[in-house]
Amino acid sequence: MAFLLRRLAGVVPTLFGVVVAAFVLTRLLPGDPAVFFANSVTADAATIAAVRQKLGLDLPLWQQFLVYAGQLLRGDLGQSVGTGQPVATDLLRLLPASAELTLVAFALAILVAVPLGVAAALRPGSVIDHACRLLSTAGVSLPTFVSGLLLIYIFYYQLGTAPEPIGRIDPFAIPPPGITGFLLIDTLLAGDTEGFAAAARQIVLPAVTMALFALAPLARMTRASMLGVLGSEFIRTARANGLRRRKIIVSYALRNALLPIVTTLGMVFSNMLGANVLVERVFAWPGIGSYALDSLISLDYAPVQGFMLLMATIFVLVNLVIDLLYAVIDPRTGLFHA
Amino acid sequence: MKFNRRQGLKGAIGAAAGAWAGGVAPRPALAQSRAETLRQVMGGTINTLDPTIPGGTRETYGLAMSTYDRLASFGRKQVGGAWVFDLEDIRGELAGKVDRAADGRGFTFHLRDGATWHDGSPVTAEDVKWSLDRAVLAKSLAPTQLSSGSLTQAGQFRIVGERSVEVQLEKPDRLALANLCVPFAMMINSRLAKQHATAEDPWAQAWLKENTAGGGAYMVETYRPGQQVVLKRNDAWKNGADGALPFFRRVIVQTVPEAATRANLIERGDADLAIDLQASDVPGLERDGKVKIVSIPQTNGFNAVIFNTRMAPFDDARVRQAVAAAMPYEDMFQAALFGRGRGLFGAGWAEAPDAAFPQPMPLRTDLDRARRLLAEAGLRDGFATTFSFSASAAPVAEPMAALVKEALARIGIQVTIQKLPDAQMTTMVVEKRLPFFAESGTAWLPATDYFFRTYFTGEQRWNFSSWNNAEINDLAQALRFEADAAKYASGCRRMITLLAQEAPQLMLWQPNHDAAMARDIGGYTYWFHRQVDYRDLRRG
Repeated sequence: MAFLLRRLAGVVPTLFGVVVAAFVLTRLLPGDPAVFFANSVTADAATIAAVRQKLGLDLPLWQQFLVYAGQLLRGDLGQSVGTGQPVATDLLRLLPASAELTLVAFALAILVAVPLGVAAALRPGSVIDHACRLLSTAGVSLPTFVSGLLLIYIFYYQLGTAPEPIGRIDPFAIPPPGITGFLLIDTLLAGDTEGFAAAARQIVLPAVTMALFALAPLARMTRASMLGVLGSEFIRTARANGLRRRKIIVSYALRNALLPIVTTLGMVFSNMLGANVLVERVFAWPGIGSYALDSLISLDYAPVQGFMLLMATIFVLVNLVIDLLYAVIDPRTGLFHA
Repeated sequence: MKFNRRQGLKGAIGAAAGAWAGGVAPRPALAQSRAETLRQVMGGTINTLDPTIPGGTRETYGLAMSTYDRLASFGRKQVGGAWVFDLEDIRGELAGKVDRAADGRGFTFHLRDGATWHDGSPVTAEDVKWSLDRAVLAKSLAPTQLSSGSLTQAGQFRIVGERSVEVQLEKPDRLALANLCVPFAMMINSRLAKQHATAEDPWAQAWLKENTAGGGAYMVETYRPGQQVVLKRNDAWKNGADGALPFFRRVIVQTVPEAATRANLIERGDADLAIDLQASDVPGLERDGKVKIVSIPQTNGFNAVIFNTRMAPFDDARVRQAVAAAMPYEDMFQAALFGRGRGLFGAGWAEAPDAAFPQPMPLRTDLDRARRLLAEAGLRDGFATTFSFSASAAPVAEPMAALVKEALARIGIQVTIQKLPDAQMTTMVVEKRLPFFAESGTAWLPATDYFFRTYFTGEQRWNFSSWNNAEINDLAQALRFEADAAKYASGCRRMITLLAQEAPQLMLWQPNHDAAMARDIGGYTYWFHRQVDYRDLRRG
């Protein structure tokens, strides 16, 4: 418990640093947002000045920062000019979409990568090992927008088996009442199996695209880590003692190989959540990556800052969960005793 | 299927859509609703339902034309087999009748009988007065636009009868009436809007950003900012050209950021219309013949090469003319646009023959002349400069820039090509820090005097070349109030001639506006706001 509290206390300076960095970085972007947003043909110097004042950009930088910090303390992330909504509202609306896609892709990647990595490690140099290598090389080297467009071309355009690659549900359907924001869960909670099937069909292609990208580091790490453990003495002892093969692999080898895999999982997860802008754009997925990119291009400061803060928070939380997982997987790390 | 959960939507539509999205052919009885639904996919977003809000995207203008009415509207005409808006033909929209004062200093608008708002309440003169006041007083994009028609004060709008409103002008501004046809001059249900006004927000801007209080041909059914808008036809609407209802009962407008995905959707027939496909994809789509492409030169726009006339060496007109004579216009037109548009170069006149603008300018490649002019300006050995363009203009500007660099090298000018992020480019243009660059412009109201006032006078962003010519400044201001058609035309010709002589910027071409649509969609019209007016379209 003390560990948990200490870890949580350590988060505060980290987040403060992120707030400062986000603020400074957005101000360093080249270009003047007031000029950019006052974009009508009739906009003159007065219009630009009015927009600048409305955005609060006429104040000196330190005052702008104090205003922003004050807003943050009240839980207000500011207004997005691009969507015309409060940033907090936007992020709350968009985060579930990104999170749902990421989680499904993540689960898919784990389900394929870990068994594949284990199998490759058990038979190095075999067909399955080469298959693992091929898949992970392809996953790394194919940019996600290429694999995404390719999947759309084959399954939607040519074969017609996939639904149109636009967003989370088809445009005519009424979304289920938003409880969790995860359509796959909300539809089930509402007892709408038809809606669930539609949402599931919609998520397959983007999730596969994302999983392809996450597959490579996971499979490689699993294979390497398993190879190391399988060569160690306690495994030889276990074999010599005639333990069952399954018991050796799952209970002893895999459990000991898990630490680096879990570390990789944490990093892959955080990356997927924030960095998969391209998948979101290709599939018109209304997620936070696309939102942050649009805001960045149009110099919309508040959403960019809000996004950075959110991602930092998620990253910190994921790291915390991973630390806790370490303790569960390997009690020797002693996190709970210190 | 449980209909209780699908209350906001007609069950039939939902069922048809479910089957449709699943890749199954719609059942015949339900096919009708698909036929009466128009689905547009766009790369941009709709971020406000009130187009006057600063930061509103261009896509909001098209939407506002369908959700709100204005007092008057432009007509449309056929140009080269396609419909194009007609600035000269103005008819009443919410006003059934428009009386023009004999001295040109005002109009009286008489509201159409039986006109109602979306909530069924009747349109009153008070509503019109409130809407006009809002357009000139609220802190929004509207006042600067309307000031280009000399509409600046609430005192100019007077209720003169139960259903009549008078608009008074100090001087007979040629564009006063036209300014009442633009999206910013929308008519608002003031009783409804006022319920949501506050002391800090007397014009209900916060509420109108998320809601509509109009009486236009379509009502907003659902609005998800940045993602999707669904419109439902207002069956009580009688303000169209001939009182007819628009064809489509329902319009779905969706944001699909990836241009290739948009093209796929149109080709597959899942979406009906897109006006922002990649220009390089359009010829291919046209060849395949699965979709209809309507290509219309943007009659109210231009692409140009700009010189900063206040920065050496481009402050010397001879240097500008030398560059003008060195440009390979036709090659640029082919490389940048595949010739898809209307060229604004290659004319042979010395005095402008026509008052219309933009029109083809006497720009021709003549390297000897270029070298001679450069030598006259004392730059026989040439000079070095930078040619800039914005990242979003790159598909057109990049091939063009390469040709500019190559051509100018022949007369000794060393060009460095610079691609800038849009926001940075915009800022540098406003601060007048770029010497030589590619820009484009459009005018909602493409009257020659308006073009010149906007793009060739003053200290604002749109005077890209920072041109300051006393004669142009005087003419552009004076012609605004010129009632005599012959005098107006000769003044316009003089301005165009001066532009050709002084060459502060080189007019290149008007790119095509390419609308890709299902083969059975008809009536597509190119509007000054360059967006879709859903009221024009029909199927079959």
